[in-house]
Amino acid sequence: MSNSHSYPHEPTGVETRKLGMWVFLSTEILFFGTLITTFMIFKGSDFPGMKLTDVYDIPFTSISSFILLMSSLTMVLAHNALEANDQEKTRVWLLATAMLGAVFLAGQIYEFTEFYHKGFELTTNIFSSSFYVLTGFHGLHVFVGVVLLLALWAIGQRQKGLTLEGGMNLEFVALYWHFVDIVWIVLFTVVYLI
Amino acid sequence: MSENHLEHPTPKKYVQIAIVLGILTAIEIALYYTEDIVGVFTDPLLIFLAVGKFIIVVGWFMHLRYENKTINRFFVGGMILALILFTIVMVERASANYL
Repeated sequence: MSNSHSYPHEPTGVETRKLGMWVFLSTEILFFGTLITTFMIFKGSDFPGMKLTDVYDIPFTSISSFILLMSSLTMVLAHNALEANDQEKTRVWLLATAMLGAVFLAGQIYEFTEFYHKGFELTTNIFSSSFYVLTGFHGLHVFVGVVLLLALWAIGQRQKGLTLEGGMNLEFVALYWHFVDIVWIVLFTVVYLI
Repeated sequence: MSENHLEHPTPKKYVQIAIVLGILTAIEIALYYTEDIVGVFTDPLLIFLAVGKFIIVVGWFMHLRYENKTINRFFVGGMILALILFTIVMVERASANYL
């Protein structure tokens, strides 16, 4: 993210760990791209006695989407605070991001529970399976992100706090978190709105 | 600082960007509920808005627009490969349905 200094000693001119993180995110694009493609193939498959509009709760999912979107703001503010070496603000924004992520996850669990009660289960048909695999894997990524954020927050609680070198670690978590957000931007449109 | 000498946004700017993202999301939801009025333009508009939000988050929050070209190439490369996969599968499916 912000550590976009030139690294002449590296063959690529980019810090190797950082390049590795971006390559990882690139592979994640392919992973979710495959899942989205599979979902689109089976979208609209037979779902006897029920319309998708009867299952989805768009107002609820919209609020969840907004919460995840705002968590990207708190994440970038945490990163900005660390660059300014403001440990207190960094910890506050990190915790806020983790909390917003946890609220999103709680919403997803509630949504899945409601869907099950409506008869839209993992094994209902091939479409429902592709829906749960796609959104479930995204939820798993959010969960990993929340764990990483809480770990960073705990590290920041130490007397030494988060350092600039550690800031690279925060940078990687931030990149991962924003990636999780952009995946949801696509999923919200493709899965729920179209 | 950065390769192309662009300054990173200030916290105030980040908040403004987040407000824009919120407004775009609100427009998306409004489009969903006005599909009967907007008609065939609904889906293209929704895709356009999602792409816009995607670019804003990647460009400003992930700072890709300030990054080294090598990083840009890796990320855009992944996007292009995913889009090629999506297109091939969808074209294949459409032709299978046609036959």
